[in-house]
Amino acid sequence: MKFDLRSTRTFKTALVLVLINFIVILISFNTGSLRIAPTEVILTLFGFGDDKTSLVLFEYRLPRIIITILAGIGLGVSGALLQGVSRNPLADPGILGLHAGASFGLIMFVTYFHSLNDNAALLIPLFTFSGGLLTAIIIILLTYDRYKGILPIRLILVGIAISACFNAVTLFLSLRLDEDTYTFASRWLVGNVWGREWIHVIALLPWIVTLTPLGWLQSRKLDALSFGDNTAVGLGVSVLRSRLSILAVAVALSSASVAMVGGIGFIGLVAPHLARRLVGPRHQNFLPVAGLLGMVILVLSDTIGRSIFQPNAIPAGIVVAAIGGPYFLYLLTKTK
Amino acid sequence: MKKKLVMLITVMLLLTLSACGQTATNDSKATNTNNKENEDPRIASLSIHLTNDLLALGITPVGSVVGGELKDFLPHVKDQLKDTTKLGPAKDPDMEALIALEPSVIYVDKGISGEDTSKYEDIAPTESFNLDEGTWRDHLKTIGKLVDREQEAEEFITNYETLTNEVKTLAADELGENSKVMAIRVTAKELRVFTTKRPLGPILFEDLGFKPAAGIEELDSTQPYEVISQELLPDFDADAIFVVVNSDDEAQTAFKQLEESPIYQGLKAVKNKHVYVVSDQPWLDYSALGNKLALEEAKELFSK
Repeated sequence: MKFDLRSTRTFKTALVLVLINFIVILISFNTGSLRIAPTEVILTLFGFGDDKTSLVLFEYRLPRIIITILAGIGLGVSGALLQGVSRNPLADPGILGLHAGASFGLIMFVTYFHSLNDNAALLIPLFTFSGGLLTAIIIILLTYDRYKGILPIRLILVGIAISACFNAVTLFLSLRLDEDTYTFASRWLVGNVWGREWIHVIALLPWIVTLTPLGWLQSRKLDALSFGDNTAVGLGVSVLRSRLSILAVAVALSSASVAMVGGIGFIGLVAPHLARRLVGPRHQNFLPVAGLLGMVILVLSDTIGRSIFQPNAIPAGIVVAAIGGPYFLYLLTKTK
Repeated sequence: MKKKLVMLITVMLLLTLSACGQTATNDSKATNTNNKENEDPRIASLSIHLTNDLLALGITPVGSVVGGELKDFLPHVKDQLKDTTKLGPAKDPDMEALIALEPSVIYVDKGISGEDTSKYEDIAPTESFNLDEGTWRDHLKTIGKLVDREQEAEEFITNYETLTNEVKTLAADELGENSKVMAIRVTAKELRVFTTKRPLGPILFEDLGFKPAAGIEELDSTQPYEVISQELLPDFDADAIFVVVNSDDEAQTAFKQLEESPIYQGLKAVKNKHVYVVSDQPWLDYSALGNKLALEEAKELFSK
């Protein structure tokens, strides 16, 4: 009975979220320096627009929207997975140091490999991804205990420490950059949607499309893990192996997303929290909702960042923090 | 239920907010595009330097990028660009604003926008200039040909040569013949010495015919400047020093600190009072107009 109730509730919530997403995306389509009437947007989307509007919509707005959709899902799901694995509602890719690692990758690129600038579109994701992966490996190595496997509590603490170390190196290197590169790097670090072209969509799409369902398939194991290691073992879950595989999925999801949209924190923290409040703690229900929420938050933030302070767009990461922060505090003070 | 309501209202508010911001800015853009109906080509310039080359020929581009640090047009040409649409910084131009302008031709700097030329070609025919090749005279002549104002380009260059000769005479009176010169820039972060590359190399060492101070020619001439330590300043053994100081407080403070240091006070140029403090604009604007304005300033400096 309980299960059915939760499921229909999940379904309804997801439906509402999809609807909100749809509205947000339409508004995002309408946002930009070139004024296009909403009816014209819809006409163009169905192939009846003039050259100018099609060029703007298909070459400039659509890829950016798709990037934010994908990255939003990636960050939301990644946060949910990390919170499940570490059994700690504080976990998110930012706090665990994955963003710090990705930033480190970016700074390494702009500092030492700037001569390769011609292929920046593809090399930056590669570098940020390697940075994220590197931190993940270091964190796992340091949290691994020979007898107890990966210690969830230590995961967060080590993550915070590693994040501090990487941030220090990043800051040091960024001080030596010239102004233009520094501006680019600092905008990236606070989460500026950077990937805006079809090539970036193509680079990001496979990650999100394959890894999100993969994470969802682990729902049962995540549920078991949330009861504690002993119970999980009792339920027939191989704790170490599932923890490692879930971590790998989370790292890949967040690193791929961050490569395109910069170091946006907070989505990975807020989205799962909200999702859990809306549909309860069963991963099967709340993972997809967390993804949808991440998507709403990021697309909305990017739209706001692009529109309010035109022509100087502000990075989506700042909008996320500015809106998400107070709302999250409000939620925390209003706990049941 | 109440909670959901709050969330819904928040989302609604945000949406209205973003919608408002959008209409306001779009209206101002729309008026900008309508009031240009003359025969000159509608040029959108994606380099501040090309913009100023165009201005030197008496052509106002319909749209231009802005200085990256300033987030605005360069101060010395701002007045002339009142009707020009801002297209964002050169490194990340506002493509939609560019499309909205419907330019008849787009001018880009190959060094900055080279990779994206095909994107611009989709919008309008694109002329790519390699600003690292040749001097501003070559760029000005090329543009002159494109816009059919070769006469104006020649005239501008002739006037510039006259001005150069005047400044040269004044400088020779002040510093003596064959004086060795260097240019540095003081920023809050570091001390930079300019190489023989643009922006300052050509105007000092070619146009004005100063000799580069010891070691300047050995610096990497593919970069505009090199960061050095204060202790190295005496090694250049310059007869005169041009110091570029931004007007912001941080740069001013940094320059004051430098002025107080014993190393600086021991420099030959400082002792002989041959230090010329100039501002970043127009001096670092390597374009026809920028160089001319810089020379006019130099004339003032040496007449004192």
